[in-house]
Amino acid sequence: MNFDLHRVYAVARKEVMHILRDPFTLALALGLPVMLVAFFGYAMDFEVRDIKLAVSDRDNGPAARRLKEIFTASGYFRLVEPGPVGPVEMLDSNRVSAALFIAPDFSKKIKGGGFAEAQFVLDGSDNSKAAAIIGYLPGIQRAAQLRLAGRAHGNQSSSGADPEPSKLSLSAADPDPVELLLSEADRDPAKLLSSGADRVSVETRLLYNPELNSRWFIVPGLAAIIIGLLAILLTALTVAREWENGSMELLLSTPVRPLEIIAGKLAPYGALVLAGVCFVYLVSRLVFGVPFAGSHLLYLAACLLFVTAALSQGLLISVLTRQQQVAMQFSMISGLLPSMLLSGFIFPVESMPGFFQYLTMLLPPRWFMAAARGITLKGADLGELAVPFLALGFLSAVMLALAIKNFKTDLE
Amino acid sequence: MNAFAALEVKGLSIKFGDFTAVDDISFSVNRGEIFGFLGANGAGKTTTIRMLCGLLLPTSGSALVGGLDFGDGGKGIKRIVGYMSQKFTLYNDLTVGENLDFAAGLRKLEPAYAKKRRKELFELTAFNKPLSSKVSSLPGGLKQELALAVAMLHDPEIVFLDEPTSGVSPESRARFWALIRRITGLGKTVLVTTHYMDEAEQCGRIALMSAGRLIALDSPEELKRAAFPGPMAELDFKGVEARAFLSGLEKAAGLLELSPHGMRWHAAFSDRASLEAALSALPPFASAVFIKPSLEDVFIRLVEGTER
Repeated sequence: MNFDLHRVYAVARKEVMHILRDPFTLALALGLPVMLVAFFGYAMDFEVRDIKLAVSDRDNGPAARRLKEIFTASGYFRLVEPGPVGPVEMLDSNRVSAALFIAPDFSKKIKGGGFAEAQFVLDGSDNSKAAAIIGYLPGIQRAAQLRLAGRAHGNQSSSGADPEPSKLSLSAADPDPVELLLSEADRDPAKLLSSGADRVSVETRLLYNPELNSRWFIVPGLAAIIIGLLAILLTALTVAREWENGSMELLLSTPVRPLEIIAGKLAPYGALVLAGVCFVYLVSRLVFGVPFAGSHLLYLAACLLFVTAALSQGLLISVLTRQQQVAMQFSMISGLLPSMLLSGFIFPVESMPGFFQYLTMLLPPRWFMAAARGITLKGADLGELAVPFLALGFLSAVMLALAIKNFKTDLE
Repeated sequence: MNAFAALEVKGLSIKFGDFTAVDDISFSVNRGEIFGFLGANGAGKTTTIRMLCGLLLPTSGSALVGGLDFGDGGKGIKRIVGYMSQKFTLYNDLTVGENLDFAAGLRKLEPAYAKKRRKELFELTAFNKPLSSKVSSLPGGLKQELALAVAMLHDPEIVFLDEPTSGVSPESRARFWALIRRITGLGKTVLVTTHYMDEAEQCGRIALMSAGRLIALDSPEELKRAAFPGPMAELDFKGVEARAFLSGLEKAAGLLELSPHGMRWHAAFSDRASLEAALSALPPFASAVFIKPSLEDVFIRLVEGTER
């Protein structure tokens, strides 16, 4: 079979002219990456900040003041002075998201080296927000341990040299009706040492993204959305348009072969989509400071595999629908939704119900997402990413074969 | 094979599943001929043309198009014929020049040769719009002429035109047919489908198709003579009810065909004597004049004949 590059070039050049003449395609191809980056990079921040915290300070001592300072100094909390109503009523009426109760003898206990307690009550009606806030508590706890308990004895370290270090407990609780106590005291190595019972302590260290910066997590995944949506949609539209106009007849009445039409039509869109990926890459590195730990070559390979799968999917849609309108709807549903929801872009695959976990295995975006995050954040090599790469390669090959076969039989 | 034949078709059939779209048709077309296909929608005209262009492969039968057969899946045929399909197939968002360049690229024509052909075709078609004008801005007739130029850019010996004048103005249709005659004047062979009777009259020979079969093939004059050997009269009842007379006329001796044409009726007889006998009882308000049968009469007579 002779594959003629001249004819591929003729088709590709014509396609580029279509792109340049069509404001919709251009706007979509250029605007979507910009919009996605702006949306996911800026507007959609998974970190919860500016949490309104009502404080009921019945101690009013120096240690209580410092504890409040620690909360505000974390950058996450803003203190709201309780008015005529109490903190619980403020939680009920949604005026604050959390409340801190400091017992009357807080400062005295700290000074005396006793077990000082403050209760942290959290509005649990918004799951993700509550989970994020709970995530901040260990840091606050550590700071409080260091600054309050340490200072009370004139010693910044809690190395265990002090025979009786003071203990501080912060407990977080849902307001009503069951109290969930998240005692962080057990993590205090000083306490464990002093009790002498158990010397095992669990310390958490976050690798790859130590600050759990959500942009580091989200922005590399945007490449999947751009490829998954743009490649599928643009391809589906361009081939469907050729059917709809009847100009496919003109193409077919010449000696041009189906494979040459496919290659010529897909190449410009592949390039356009890769340009979008480059844009996201540059923005994520230069604007958001996302690290790139792995091999660029490997990343490019993953992109190319996923682009192939997406272009093939678009081609398949256009062959099956033959109408731009229908092709557009199909592309949105089969391209955007899996990339957004089932790829692990936002929602972890591991936390999906079993059926969906198996379903995601059939979806190229899931494997691309795994590969892209592995390469950018962890610096994983091909050996470590063998499964995602094999899956991506396999699915791309199947998609391409299916699309070409359908396209060819359709012409005959 | 006839040395002068551009096309030689023998027992060509194509089936789509159980449906036989084209059923065992045979004919040959001479070089330089305008060969018309006449038939209703769905009669198999377009399918026949698409097969002869190499776009569809026949289920059975054979064809030689410019001396080539379907042995290579129609690839060779595609190279030597020009095809202009029923739907307007140029790209509206591209310019005249870009459409022509694209066709040249698909057929791998040398740029210099493509330019020369473009000039020749613009002269032939009297196309005078600049290359940079967008196709979407052209009037319908000019679009058709440009589509023809694109189909003929590679200088094919045989040109297939599938309803080339559908949807254009009567003046543009006349212009386009003058163009077809100029093309055959250059020694090219043109196969054209139409359902306009006046266009069919301009063909050298007409293949009449119905339900996938070729029911008649001859020049317009011969078709008329064969279908109507005797005289034909056009009856005008001036809007007056004449059902009783017409039902009597239907049983008249020597009647070949009685068909309504708008408000009037065409009555064809095998000979002059039977016509005069049948029309002697014409109601006083009615009138009858001798007319020449049109291709439409032939079409009605032949198609109804096959359906009876």
